[in-house]
Amino acid sequence: MPTEYAITYSCENKYENKVRGAHWQFLIIPQTNSSQEVLSIEFTNSLLEAESYSINGLGFKTIRLKTRKSFKSARFRAKMRVLKSEVNPFDFPLENNAEESYKELKSLNFRVDHEAFLKKTDLTTLPENSTSLWSLDTSQTVFTNLQNLNKLVNAYLTFQPSTTTASSTLEEVLAKRNGVCQDFAHLFCALARMNGIPSRYVSGFLHQGSGYFGDSQMHAWSEAFIPKIGWVGFDPCNDLLAGTDYIKVSHGKDYRDCAPIRGVLFTTGKNETIYTVQVEGDQQ
Amino acid sequence: MGKIQNQIFSSYLRNPVLYDELFDKTGEIKDIYSRLFELYGGHTIKEYVKLNDKAKSSFFNQGITFQVYGEKESTEKIFPFDLFPRIIAPEEWEIIERGAIQRSRALNLFLWDIYHEKKIIKQGIVPLELISSSANYLNQMVDLDPPGGIYNHISGTDIIKHNDGNYYVLEDNIRCPSGVSYVICNRTALKRALFGVFNHYRTHSVTNYAENLLDLLETVKPKGVDIPNVVVLTPGMYNSAFYEHSYLAKTMGVELVEGRDLFVENDFVYMKTTHGPEKIDVIYRRVDDVFIDPLEFRADSALGVPGLFAAYKKGNVTLANAPGTGVADDKAIYTYMPDIIKYYLDEDPILNNVHTYHCSKPDELKYVLEHINELVIKPVDEAGGYGISIGNRLSKEEIEEVKLQVKANPRKYVAQPIMSLSVHPTYIDDTESFEQRHVDLRTFTIMGRDRDFVLKGGLTRVALKKGNLIVNSSQGGGSKDTWVLKS
Repeated sequence: MPTEYAITYSCENKYENKVRGAHWQFLIIPQTNSSQEVLSIEFTNSLLEAESYSINGLGFKTIRLKTRKSFKSARFRAKMRVLKSEVNPFDFPLENNAEESYKELKSLNFRVDHEAFLKKTDLTTLPENSTSLWSLDTSQTVFTNLQNLNKLVNAYLTFQPSTTTASSTLEEVLAKRNGVCQDFAHLFCALARMNGIPSRYVSGFLHQGSGYFGDSQMHAWSEAFIPKIGWVGFDPCNDLLAGTDYIKVSHGKDYRDCAPIRGVLFTTGKNETIYTVQVEGDQQ
Repeated sequence: MGKIQNQIFSSYLRNPVLYDELFDKTGEIKDIYSRLFELYGGHTIKEYVKLNDKAKSSFFNQGITFQVYGEKESTEKIFPFDLFPRIIAPEEWEIIERGAIQRSRALNLFLWDIYHEKKIIKQGIVPLELISSSANYLNQMVDLDPPGGIYNHISGTDIIKHNDGNYYVLEDNIRCPSGVSYVICNRTALKRALFGVFNHYRTHSVTNYAENLLDLLETVKPKGVDIPNVVVLTPGMYNSAFYEHSYLAKTMGVELVEGRDLFVENDFVYMKTTHGPEKIDVIYRRVDDVFIDPLEFRADSALGVPGLFAAYKKGNVTLANAPGTGVADDKAIYTYMPDIIKYYLDEDPILNNVHTYHCSKPDELKYVLEHINELVIKPVDEAGGYGISIGNRLSKEEIEEVKLQVKANPRKYVAQPIMSLSVHPTYIDDTESFEQRHVDLRTFTIMGRDRDFVLKGGLTRVALKKGNLIVNSSQGGGSKDTWVLKS
């Protein structure tokens, strides 16, 4: 049974000094894919500027806004309705031949095709003392291994808001063993990639009806590519597979490819940003 | 060392080990230069110095100056110019021209492939690591079809003549190669100083570069555009090549713009003018990839245009060169050029490649570390001659230092045998006489939808410091007018 979600993304920016002009780009529109469909988008802003829609370099839909009037604060709100079909995370053929999957993971063609999601980035580089945190057990299927990785990352880090920032490296995260969903996702990606499994960072919304971690901001999880099956979503922050409650917006190599808001501002001084996200679900 | 009987060459010392472009091994003047030699010999050194000064001031008067990055005092300098031109015979030029086009085409096909099916990697010809570890490979370019299928619209190929008399390519520059304005200004300066000498040689003109550039940029206009609106995008007046940007805009008859002069609306690019917005179709951009669009790449870039990449991706504007071409002028890719040419064109390379050792391969790294005094060590991702170490010029301590650097980051370095660049008589201020100096040649190739153009001429760069092999302008090099003779 499909679920209709009403998502509200709000963002308020306050600036110490007058901003003479600004460009913003929001990467917050749910992706339209086999399990989800965007029914409506209603975008409003306190500056009363008209928004436009575009596709970014990695192929995801964005909302753009620019202003030439000066201002000291700005509020944005996007109300989006999304129809999500029921996702059974186990709904794929079982790997009956694990050996073949491992052979495929090693093949040059496979590594070339998934090159972007096999290499490390600044945010997914493991410190040297942590590279052996997890390794593949080839007597098990790739899927089982990834489930174990999900569990391991979930247990290794403690969910603790405000201890890390969007630019925290894994070195910092692993030293504290604290973090938020982004850090869990980065660690998952780093370990999967290190073991030759393509893995990508996913940004989106989580319907928190059942008391998941994920606070009132956007959520982040990971997807890993299993040979012959395809991309499967894992949420190491909650030790779950990404099911019906997960509304995907974008994916990339790490957070930087998926930052929900990018801005170019003509101003000086400090600024402060407060985001809130609300997701309400209604079964159809 | 033989002495040459000619007024202004009376004190020219010829080192027989070096390949002198004017004199053969016995000290005889080569046929192609004999007339020029006589003509210049008609002047005394004093007269020559006067002419040289005149030529220099012509550069200042034209405002053809540059700045060297990292120097405390940012003074305007002229690119030192030498009045004695270099001559290239038609049959030699024919090889250079065909070779330059061959390389540009092969690189273009390579770029298409690595941003689409990646066949050359899947077939094991070029290692995956070269792409996946390159900072210049842009995921944003994957599956994007640039207008006309062209990535490297403008290529600068650096060529040297080795002491075996053959031409070798040292590197392919396909990001934003600069220097073409000097080719044209050198010609102007030489004409102003010594107009008469041109009467004795049938030399190809170099002033047709801008019109060909504009023509070829127009062939890669976006779909649905009739007469494209072309602009040159510069990082601004503080860029070391600003003169060239303004020169090219002026001679093409198009606007020179900075990022803030353009804006994007609904994925179309517009220029702000006093008559209102004007749509822009083709941008010859001299701003590096990561600075072109702060919404897509570096957010702190003040040089770019917010939203430009999305407009490009949608096919509404052409960027020349295409973003992401830098991956193919990585010096590690250079070493695979013979294979790349063979793979895409099924041809043998027309121009030689210098043998290159990849420090990323353990056995080659071992060789490099053991033979460092016979090799040139180059970082794979730096331009402008920065970070190059020439083995036989290093002290023991310096060698150890270079070894440590290479060992710490082998992927970052390649090594080549020390090539002996040919020498050309060059007037040296300090000694008030002609001396042998090493030269190279940068050629300029433009590729359009179905036509190519190689500028018949090029920038002959001179390493002004005695014995120096690095000719880049940022490393204190000068230049000469380069004559390609008509057949």
